Amino acid sequence: MTGRIFSLVFGAVLLTACQRESRSFRLDPPIAASLEAVAPMPNGIGGAPPDSDAVLGHPYLTNAYNLNQGKQLYTWFNCKGCHADGGGVTGPSFLNGWWRYGPQAVSIFISIRDGRPRGMPAFGNHLTTEQLWQLAGYVRTIGAYSAMTAAPSRNDEMQSRPAENRAPAAIATPSDQWPATRYR
Amino acid sequence: MLQQDRWLAVALLLSLACESFAGPAQPVSQGASVNPATRFSSLAQIDRHNVGQLKLAFTFRTGRLGAQGSAPLLWGTKLLILSAFPHTLFALDLTRPNGTISWQLTPAANRVVDGLHCCDRIHLGPISNGNRVYIGTLDGHVIAVDPQHGQPVWDVAVADPALGETLASAPTLAQDRLIVGNAGDDFGARGWIAALDSNTGRTLWKRYSTGPDQDVGTRREFQPSRPEDSGIDLGTHSWPGTSWQHGGGSVSGWTLYDPTLQLLFHNTGPAAPWNPEPRPGNNLWTAGVFARDPRTGEARWFTGLHRHGLYGWRNGSANLILEHAWGGSARSLLIHPDADGRLYVMDRKTGELLAADSFLSEPRAQKTSSTAPIPRTNLQVRNICPAWVGAVGADAALDEATSWLYIPVSRLCMDLEDRSANYIQGTPFIGANVRVNSNSAARGELVAWNIVARKAVWRIPERLPIAADTLVTRGGVVFYGTLDGMLKAVDAHTGALLWQFKTAAALTGQPTTYEGPDGRQYIAVVAGASGPYGLAQQAWIDRRDATAARGLARVMANVDPPRDPSGTLYVFGLP
Amino acid sequence: MARHALSLIALLCCGCAGWQSALDTHAVQGTRLAHLIWLFVGVCAVVWVTVTVVLLLALRKKNDCPDDGPHTPAEASERRMARIVRAAAIATAGIITSLTIVSFYATRELTSAAVAALDLRVRGYQWWWEVTYLDARPDQVFITANEIHVPVGRSIHLRLAAADVIHSFWVPSLTGKQDLIPGRENTLTFTPQEVGIYRGQCAEFCGLQHAHMSLLVVVDSAADFEHWRRGQLAPAATPRGPEQETGKRLFENKACASCHNIQGSTASGTIGPDLTHLASRHYIAAGSLATNRGSIAAWLADPQTIKPGNNMPRVRLNAGELNALSAYLAALR
Repeated sequence: MTGRIFSLVFGAVLLTACQRESRSFRLDPPIAASLEAVAPMPNGIGGAPPDSDAVLGHPYLTNAYNLNQGKQLYTWFNCKGCHADGGGVTGPSFLNGWWRYGPQAVSIFISIRDGRPRGMPAFGNHLTTEQLWQLAGYVRTIGAYSAMTAAPSRNDEMQSRPAENRAPAAIATPSDQWPATRYR
Repeated sequence: MLQQDRWLAVALLLSLACESFAGPAQPVSQGASVNPATRFSSLAQIDRHNVGQLKLAFTFRTGRLGAQGSAPLLWGTKLLILSAFPHTLFALDLTRPNGTISWQLTPAANRVVDGLHCCDRIHLGPISNGNRVYIGTLDGHVIAVDPQHGQPVWDVAVADPALGETLASAPTLAQDRLIVGNAGDDFGARGWIAALDSNTGRTLWKRYSTGPDQDVGTRREFQPSRPEDSGIDLGTHSWPGTSWQHGGGSVSGWTLYDPTLQLLFHNTGPAAPWNPEPRPGNNLWTAGVFARDPRTGEARWFTGLHRHGLYGWRNGSANLILEHAWGGSARSLLIHPDADGRLYVMDRKTGELLAADSFLSEPRAQKTSSTAPIPRTNLQVRNICPAWVGAVGADAALDEATSWLYIPVSRLCMDLEDRSANYIQGTPFIGANVRVNSNSAARGELVAWNIVARKAVWRIPERLPIAADTLVTRGGVVFYGTLDGMLKAVDAHTGALLWQFKTAAALTGQPTTYEGPDGRQYIAVVAGASGPYGLAQQAWIDRRDATAARGLARVMANVDPPRDPSGTLYVFGLP
Repeated sequence: MARHALSLIALLCCGCAGWQSALDTHAVQGTRLAHLIWLFVGVCAVVWVTVTVVLLLALRKKNDCPDDGPHTPAEASERRMARIVRAAAIATAGIITSLTIVSFYATRELTSAAVAALDLRVRGYQWWWEVTYLDARPDQVFITANEIHVPVGRSIHLRLAAADVIHSFWVPSLTGKQDLIPGRENTLTFTPQEVGIYRGQCAEFCGLQHAHMSLLVVVDSAADFEHWRRGQLAPAATPRGPEQETGKRLFENKACASCHNIQGSTASGTIGPDLTHLASRHYIAAGSLATNRGSIAAWLADPQTIKPGNNMPRVRLNAGELNALSAYLAALR
């Protein structure tokens, strides 16, 4: 009898330990408003991120749901047309970890929201602030130097590059030899 | 050296005398010697016997990174070259040694277009009617310049970057009109072609590649060569809803003017987006060849080559003219090498299709269209040959003496996955992921094609796709350039390699030839990457992504990076 | 007791009727399946009753053996037992085989190769349905969302595709289920027999809002269908009045145009549902709310509370913008 009670209690405790990652679909309005409050440097490179970002634990870099939404937005808003899957076309690549306007997520957010002079369109009118942050967070993780625990869901599209959470910027550039067999 | 100086002095005196007689001459482009309708040069000083002795006469470094492709133009004793964007038009005084700059002009540049040009080959001029020099700029301006002193005469904006439009080709002169067409069907820009008054820059007419008959110009004089092209407003009815408004069909290639028939010939680019599923129907009038009246822009005929295009094949390669008997009667022919690997021969008067032979060594194009699954959303179709970039990498050249065509070929294949395409103005409108690869070690080829006999005479395999125009001269030499910077001269009859020179960057421009003020023939080419292959070589491209540079980054994987990527003019002459 | 039993029976019976019921069918295929269901229920009920009765009888049977010695089975009863078991086994095999054959013929009719009057492509997104009416003439092709209109009595052919994950198309009053699988095109054919409105539901778990991914199939008479079709081909209604004009301008300039398409405006986005004739549909947000200006305004103001996790973001709008936009959208008949 005691054994049965004990196993019941133990099982209940085990189940409560399954903590799901939290997803916020609807930010509180003050927090949503605060996400717009970035203070860029005068040259537009870098700046102070919103205070709420740190308080929430950098959710746009570490929360898998946000990264996944960012990944969906990356396809939907034609980022692939100029940046491919991070390798670059007319726009620069993100994979190599070199950032023209600095690696901070704030710089990337400002780039997407306001555009940049050499051809990056401004998406501030096309996306909400939260979506801009989701996209900026996803783009930041494409050129990550260390492997991450949070990652967007697996690629449903044609295989192009290693998965986002594998620290692609740290992987050495592949050799210059033309592959003997066609890439599959 | 001393002898050269003496000749230069004589030339200088002569040129001073001649300049006082300079007046409006016949329309010229790339110097009087290269015929824009055939890319054949009548100069024969350099021929198959002495081309092996060609030496570098001088070089000129424009110092501008980016898409280089424009051919130098000889005007009087000046050699004019247009640098990459942001453009500077340089005039080099050929009477002075080593490419001394006579004047230079840098018009204001809208840098937004840096993000708007990807995969069109850039050859923006200059061209000249003898009196004025005209250039197109990537950010959509056409500028008339006084070539004596380099002063702009007029400057009009014709393309709107906000709509995704840019200019990729120089205007074409049709008597006193400048004909210019836009680029940008990867951005969903609606294709158009316009005529400007060459004296004032005022737009005289503008016709579109999609839309109602009034916009396209298929109302009054149009005689369709195929029954499916007759009907009212096919430019809207062959599209669902209003998708024709961003349906592509750009006129990014060179427009050809035929003074004999008084007609313009131009290509229309692929339909937008690449994904064919959102645009069921024939998608007129994209992916074909138009003949238009240069006075009104009204279309005379249209030959559709890829109705409801499936693969995003580019259509920027120039059309050429040939007068030859065909099927027993004398015909006016239009020669059109196409991205699908076929050489289309049309009757210039009616648009009737006379031949469509594959110039590829393995006729993959036919296999692709008949056996490959039709691309649709979320489906991966593999090994489509030729790849989206097309089988013909640049403009071909036609030897007027033999009627042989020298085609620069690219032999690439692609894996294509169509996705949902979302139209946001000013952003890419493609709807496809693409990886490019090749089935053979020779990714390029120079093909000598006998148009009348309808077969290849010889082929030269190349390790890399050939993305530079070819040039053939009366001296029996064919010049072409490779993506690793080699400028080669081969015998036009046999294909034997006669001479080659390694330049400091990829060759994607137009080799040209001219007769200098000293009366000697020179070969000139600007080295520097333009077009999709040039893009794949840029420093910001990361090859770990197989779709980088629309899949071409991996094709250019084992090409040495350019030693000097900024555009450099190389001029060669006999010693 | 009787009253309780009666109310229980009534409760059970109301599950059969309605606009989303596999037992209240109004199409050829659905009816076939409903008959199959009733056949199975009937046969299995009879079998179950028989088995239960036999079981109870067996339990009630007294033990005949007086002593505790080993039981010697009587020859006759053993033979009788064997006959009964043999009969039961044959009956079971026969019932199963015949049910299988009947089921085979019924499901074969679901994919009949009859010439279809209408060809539609239904593409499932998370969590809405995109419906493209296909036609050999491209200018007769149009796109709508979440509501399918079909003419009565004609064979309707559906091409089922998915944009992201596996969904399943299920309109129980009309026909059975068929999955929508990314990369594959499945087909489904049905022939509606009665004019009416029938509700469908996504039947394959596809994410957070799977439960709120419903659709309507409206079966019209031939004339009504043609009228509806022409209306859908036309561009969106021109805005009437300054408020609607402001709404249209806001729609084109704000984030709306990047995701939604309204023919006749500059909005050409394809990520979200086509809104050209939004107000002609009975529901918005895949069955979440009935279509009226108020519900449209509620949806615009806060889609994440109504349908948490769906891909429509909460665009910041002030009161004036909300009024103008909802006026414009509510007028898009």
